[in-house]
Formats: sequence, structure tokens, C-alpha cells
Amino acid sequence: MVSIIGFLFLCLSIITNLFVVFANIINFFKLSFNKIIFISRFATIFILLSFLTLIFAYIISDFSNYNVFQNSHSSKPILYKISGAWGNHEGSMLMWITIMSIYSFIFSFVKKIDESLKFKTIFFQSILFILFSFYLVFVSNPFLANNVNVSDGLGLNPVLQDPALAIHPPALYLGYVGYSLIFSFAIAGIVEKKINNEWFRVLKNWSLFCWSMLTLGIGLGCYWAYYELGWGGWWFWDPVENVSLMPWIAGLALVHSLFISKGEQVLTKWIVFLSILCFSLSIFGTFLVRSGILTSVHSFASDPSRGLFILLIFFLITGFGLTIFLLKMPEDKKSIKLLLLNKTSSLIINNIIMIIACLTILLGTIYPIIIEVLTDTRISVGGPYFNSTVLPIMLPGFLLMSIAPSLSWQTNKLKNYKYYSLVLISLSVLIVFISIFTYLNPWLFIGLFLGSWIILASLIAIIFIEKKSFKLKFLKNINAYIAHIGVGILIIGITFSSLLKEENDFSLNVGEEISFANSIILFEEITVESKNNFQKLRGKFIIKKNDINFAQIEAGKNYYHVSKTITTEAGIYHDWFKDIYILLGGQENEKWSIKIYNNPLVSLIWIGIFIMVISGLLGVTKK
Amino acid sequence: MTLRFQRLLLILLSLLFLLSAILLILFNSKKNIVFFYTPSELLENNVELNKTIRIGAFVQKGSFKKIADRTYEFNLSDKKNFIKVMYTGFLPDLFREEQGAVIEGILISKKLIKASTVYAKHDENYMPNSIKKSLELNEYWQRKY
Repeated sequence: MVSIIGFLFLCLSIITNLFVVFANIINFFKLSFNKIIFISRFATIFILLSFLTLIFAYIISDFSNYNVFQNSHSSKPILYKISGAWGNHEGSMLMWITIMSIYSFIFSFVKKIDESLKFKTIFFQSILFILFSFYLVFVSNPFLANNVNVSDGLGLNPVLQDPALAIHPPALYLGYVGYSLIFSFAIAGIVEKKINNEWFRVLKNWSLFCWSMLTLGIGLGCYWAYYELGWGGWWFWDPVENVSLMPWIAGLALVHSLFISKGEQVLTKWIVFLSILCFSLSIFGTFLVRSGILTSVHSFASDPSRGLFILLIFFLITGFGLTIFLLKMPEDKKSIKLLLLNKTSSLIINNIIMIIACLTILLGTIYPIIIEVLTDTRISVGGPYFNSTVLPIMLPGFLLMSIAPSLSWQTNKLKNYKYYSLVLISLSVLIVFISIFTYLNPWLFIGLFLGSWIILASLIAIIFIEKKSFKLKFLKNINAYIAHIGVGILIIGITFSSLLKEENDFSLNVGEEISFANSIILFEEITVESKNNFQKLRGKFIIKKNDINFAQIEAGKNYYHVSKTITTEAGIYHDWFKDIYILLGGQENEKWSIKIYNNPLVSLIWIGIFIMVISGLLGVTKK
Repeated sequence: MTLRFQRLLLILLSLLFLLSAILLILFNSKKNIVFFYTPSELLENNVELNKTIRIGAFVQKGSFKKIADRTYEFNLSDKKNFIKVMYTGFLPDLFREEQGAVIEGILISKKLIKASTVYAKHDENYMPNSIKKSLELNEYWQRKY
């Protein structure tokens, strides 16, 4: 019953969107723009109700719904029942189109936009909605009925039974799907020939918001992978991670390009192209993940027909976008002021670097597919490829971003360059000094230098701004510098945590002590506890320093009865300077095998990402 | 500097980036690609020794031996052929005899590989499709629900 209601709302939403589309093409009811926009809002309400119905079906464990039966179990805690609604392919696609619709709903309330532009955007958004909702209805319907009478469901993948499931996918989708609006708005702008200051301003705000959400989503994903997968790291150059990084980089390039054209109306072609690219890459990523061509931790039950359908949508949307782009190519009103080293040229170089990085990742990600199709040889392109290509490519960009925001628009001069050079020289001396007395490998040297230089250069820029205050308005003004400080912190965190990671295996009896990374770790006891839907095995470890117990870590495994799987639950002790990360392995002759990592400065990674997200959101509210 | 000259420099700089990126990609794609074989394919193909490769098959019954603390030895077999694996480290939770496993390591001889990573069924959701396919091919892949 619940499924039927949910499906009904889904259909109502599709019909409303179809109406909006047809009302635009042949307006036989002679409705005004405002009326059609008003009607389009109902589509959002319907799809939201449909999505809530699915969540409701999960909450009441309605196993007459096939999707609920496949992915839920009555003994699951309520949080995972709710978040389980989007923890599977069908449900997550329903969330995808729901978010898509919510974006056009909110957009319809934005004031100060030309009416025809707003109307066209919602029109394109409705078309996108219809395409994806057909996909939902025909190949991944979450409201299918379960023909067999069952007493309980099959359960949610234990790895996903984690509070992060509640926020990681929604945040990520707010980013991915948000680019649909960017796409629609960009296309609407060139179709209606309404590329003016308003258009740039609106595009900047929305793309900055999408980018911030995507950053948040990816960051949460990294954090989740860090503590849940139990591999001691947080980024594995997994296909899924790569496909999220591509729209992220393209989105970053878009945000920066919009910054150049603020008030100047230049680079319009490039901006429209990037807007199309961002959404195309989002869909392409979805295709790679959902089709089962690339399998990873996010593998949903894959089905070739789904992949084909998404590929079709991808070609339709990208093809349509690019055709309109080529036919109605917008012209710049002014020419750009390009000097050797002014703000414009550094932003353009930054764009070039980002696009090259994006292509490098794309190549590494799809290379195994190409090779397998062509030669039937199976290969894998692992982390080392990406580390040794993407990182060096990004280096000049990192170097440039330290001073780029302080460069002038009009001349090749850098304001206060004396201070910059002074700080740069003293920093170099200091780091060379450190590297003589400690062991610093080249990458560590580069990472430390770049990270601290970006932070210092941004701080100098902030110091020299006149009229300082602690008001929100001031923070909004300097949000670019804040974001760059975040990147600097992130770089230091990444460099230290990946290069100075210590990893050790031990075999321990309960009660035994070992020394590791300047502290003593005592393996105190093993406990077994039964929870509602799983059994918990935990080893308790006490970290001692100078005979003082200063932390306690619980590491272990969970055994889930329903799916008969074991998940590793890493025990992590967080500190500002390091994480001690313990994994409990198997037991052999009374001895437990234990793996301990010492990950220095991981906290800086999360802090850096957090700063980037916050400063992005500050930028959205900036006038 | 004239404007023209400045722009020329910019273009040259961009081309330099592009060129170095291409060189990096070419250089690294040769070095960092890991090929994947089944034990039989390994025998059929002439695989260079001392190269990192992946092998996917199942752990042969009765072959698992503990040599020393955290050092193990077992055979990976695809019913027709097998290869001996030496491994030191942490075994995944669901590493069992007669279960599918994939290892990554350095080939020492045609019949022996020193593994650096072992992926077992625990990582069912985290396995490259190519590996899954070959396990399916040899009927050692069961999706369990």
C-alpha cells in the first residue's frame, strides 16, 4: 500500500514536470510564466512526498516493498532504517531526483533574476528531472512490490550501518545534483541571451554552494573510509573517489573562473563550457559506479541495463548541452586583461592546471576499461599512478595560489612584495634548517614548504587589508584567503599523514604491553557484547606515556547475523598531532594479531576541509 | 615587456605544463600498471619475474601453513594450475581455505609469488571487476545474500 502511494506521488511529480515542459513549448492554456513556475513547485512537493513515503516504508519495515525487503531488516536501529532508504541504488536515485527538484524549487524563489531566464532554467531542470525519473521508473524503481510473503528483510550492508550514511550521501548529492541547476542555468543564459552581471552573480553563488557541498560530501566520505574500512588511510584512489574528484576539480575551476569574470563579463564561453562539464562529469561518475563497470566499496547491485540507460542520459545531456553551446556561443563583451603575472593570468593558469589534472584522473580511471575492451587484458591502475602524476601536475598551481589573490588585476605588480619575499626567504631558510637536522624526504620538504607558504602568504594578505574587524562581513570579504589557508593546512596534513605514517604488526596476549611511537600500549582485555542486530568483539587498549594512562582505545569487529559478515571497527585515538589507529585481527594460540598505525597530523586534513567548506559557504552569502 | 610578449610567455608556460603532464602520464602508466592473471594465465603468458602482479583464484584445500609469526604460505589454485604464495602480515577476517582470494605481490619464479597484499572475501564489495570476473569464471565467486 505504502509503495503504491509512493509510486503515485512519483508519477504525479513526473506528470507535473511534463506539464511544465509542454506548457513552455506549446502554451495552449496561455499561462503566464509565474503560473507555470507556481505549478512546477508542486512537482517538488510531490517528489518530496514520494521520497518521504519510501523513508516511511523503511521505518515501518514494510517488506511488501521489494526495495525495503532487499535492504532492510526489522532489527535495525531506527537511524539506519531512515538512512537505509538511500543506502541502496534505487533509493539513492530517488534521492537524486528529489534533490534535483528541490534545487529548482529553491531557485524558483530567487529574486532579481530576469523572468524569462528563471523560467527557461526551470524548464531545462524539468527536462533533466524527466530523464532521470524515467530512469528511475524503468530500470530502478524503488517502489516495486515484493511478490513473496516474507517475515523479514535481507538487511543493510553492515559497512553502511554507520551514522555517516545519514549525511555523507545527501551532502555529496547536494553537490553532484546541484550541478544540474548550474547546467540548466548556463544553458538558459545562452538560449535567452541573458548573460549579464546578474547571470554571473547567480551562477557564482550556486556553483560555490554546490562546490562547498561536494567538498563536504567528499570530506565526510574520506573520514568514513578512514575509520570504517580499517585500511589505515583515508584516500585510496578508488574509482569512486576519482569520479567524485573530477567534478570537484571542474567545479573548482568554475568557481575561480567566475571570480575573474565578476563584473567584467569575460571568459563567458569557458564558464558555460565548465558548467556543462561539471554536470556531465557528475553523470559520467554515476554511470561508472552504477553500471558495475568499475566496482568499488560503493558497489550497488549492478545491472548492465542501468549502465546503458545512464550512458544514454549522459550522451543526451552532454550532447544537447554542447550543441546548444556551439550554436549559441556567447560572445564576451570585453576582452580580458591578460598580463604575465596578474590576477587574470594566474587564474587562467590555475584553470589550465585543474583541467589537466582532471583529465589525468579521468585517463587513469577509465584506462583499465579501455584496455580490457581492446585487448582483453585485465589491469589495475593503482594509487602510485595518481600520486606520481596528479600531485606533480598540481604543484605549480599550489605555488601560484599562495600569492594569486593578492595580485593586481591591472599590472604585473604584487602589493607589499617586500614582505612576501622576506617571509618566503625566512621560511625557506627555516625549512632547509629543519631538513638538515631531521630526516626530510623531498616530498615532505615540498609539502611542508608549500603548505606553510600558502598559509603565511594568505595571512600576510589578510594583515595588509585595511579596515579589519571581526564582523561576519569582513570574514566574507576575505573568504578566498581563508579557503586558501584551509588548503595549506590540508596539504601539510596530507603530506605528514601519508609520508610519516608508521605501521606495525604485533602478536599479543591479553595483558601484554608493547612500545610504539614513543608510548606504551597495553592490551588490557577482550570483551564480547551482543547488540540488537550484531555481536560486538572489542579489544581494550590503554595508551601510556610516562606511566600515566592518557587514552583508551577500543578496536574490534562486529559480526552481523543477518548478512553473516564481519566488519572491522578500527579503534582510533585522536589527538591534534597524531592519530593512533588500532586494528584487531584474528586469534591464534591465545595470541591476537594486532595492527597499529601512527598517523601524524591527520586532524589537519579534517580541519583543512572544514575551513574550505565554511569559507565556500561564506562566499555564497557574499554580495 | 610588451603585452604580446607577455601573452606569448603565458602560452609557452601552459604548453610546458601540458607537456610535462603528458610525460608524467606516459612515464608513470608504464611503471604503475598492475596486470592481473589467474594461475593458468600466468603459466601461459611469459610474465617477467620481479614484477608486481595480481593473482586471483581460490585458496587450495590443505595448503595453508603457518611458517612463523604472521608469516604464511598457501597455494592459490584455479582447478587446473596453482601457484605458491608467501605472505607476511595481516590476513583478512574472512581468509579461508577454499575461498576466493586475490593477492598482489612480486613474482619470484613461475611457481612462487611473494605477496604484499591479500584481499579475501571480506572485501567482496571492494574488488575490481576484473578480479571478480575471473573468480566467477572459475566458479569461485558466490554472491551471498
